Amino acid sequence: MNYTLQFGPIWDNRALILDGFITTILLSAAALVLAILIGVLVGTAATAQGRTARALSVAYVESMRNIPLLIHMYFWYNGLSFLKIPAFWCGVLGLSLYSGAYVAEIVRSGIGSVPRGQRQAALASGLTNVQAMLFVVYPQAIRAIIPSLASVFSQLIKDSSLASVIAVADITYQASAIEGQTFRTFEIYITVCLLYLALVTAVSQTLTILSGTRDGLARRVADA
Amino acid sequence: MPEVILKNLPFMLQGLATSLQISAMVAFGGTLLGLVVAVILYSRVPVLSAVSRIYIEFIRGTPLLVVLFIAFFGLPALFGYQTTAYKATVVAFILFIGAYLAEDIRSGLMTVKPTLTQAALATGLTHGQALRFVVVPIAVRRIIPTLFNQYVRLFKFTSVASVIGVSEFTGNAMLVNAREFQPVTILAFVALTYLVICLILSGIGRWLYARLAVN
Repeated sequence: MNYTLQFGPIWDNRALILDGFITTILLSAAALVLAILIGVLVGTAATAQGRTARALSVAYVESMRNIPLLIHMYFWYNGLSFLKIPAFWCGVLGLSLYSGAYVAEIVRSGIGSVPRGQRQAALASGLTNVQAMLFVVYPQAIRAIIPSLASVFSQLIKDSSLASVIAVADITYQASAIEGQTFRTFEIYITVCLLYLALVTAVSQTLTILSGTRDGLARRVADA
Repeated sequence: MPEVILKNLPFMLQGLATSLQISAMVAFGGTLLGLVVAVILYSRVPVLSAVSRIYIEFIRGTPLLVVLFIAFFGLPALFGYQTTAYKATVVAFILFIGAYLAEDIRSGLMTVKPTLTQAALATGLTHGQALRFVVVPIAVRRIIPTLFNQYVRLFKFTSVASVIGVSEFTGNAMLVNAREFQPVTILAFVALTYLVICLILSGIGRWLYARLAVN
């Protein structure tokens, strides 16, 4: 081994790394919000009475999650290039449509875990369909699905690295740029690894703590 | 089929063959690695268990693309050896999927009741034999759906190898697109192909599970 580790050049480029890290966080956060929206809609449709809604929901989930994320990104960035969507939003669209399918599966199983009687009782007490879902079914479902959601969220954060391929200046993209300038290959990628690890751990730990105090969470949800 | 696809079909299918080849090798290697790591964790081997935990936590917190960059750029620079994009991809993917498979197999091992192991030991099997002939077969047959989920995921992931220049399916398709510039048609074809293969793979998983499941 004739290679001496030098982290100096990495430290010199900290501004770029920080910039990329912030882009990664923004990208993941935007995709997360959209993925949750898609997931709740599609997941609820999977438990609907109507056959069409259920079929559409299954079709969405099966088609979206069986196509590689990279193809999703290329589709918005290269395929629909005439729309001139900024690369960042191509990344957000690709990520959220893809992860939304995973969230939908979890939401579906969460709704399934709430006893049927709960919704029927809510409807019988005069709540509308939407109110019954919002105030009775979802608050109970969310308690069951937090651990699975945590793993999908951390998956999403890691998957956001693929946006670097369509020229979103996230942390992986900046790492390649810094590597090209400094040739400190191993150091830069290990640094980036540790930053991802920190971000993913922070997000999943926060959610685990939330689910640990899930009675507290349920109370807060119920009070709201 | 659109003309642009027909004309470039051999080139793209060649890429698809590479994708499938990589997937098969990684599925085999990754399952083997996952099994070894899972058994180490399950048997609480001192030191090695700790190393395995660190390995799993590290990989599960890292994006595939970064693992791939480390295997292709980082490690060869660090240890001063030559590698090819293809080899680096196989190594990176085995290390990556191995961590997830290890967790899945370990949780499968945990579902096997301790009384079964005790019965196996009482009949005179050694600890190693009890694992090999009783616990592992039952555990693996129980987690077939999870295993196949990982294989599907792995097959989709092979598209990422195009980023470091492996000429697999996505990479070849994007090359074709660079020449023909019909992105919508080409991407639709690529997406459909992945979709069909993934659905077939999970179908095989369900079929195997229905045939082999132990309750």
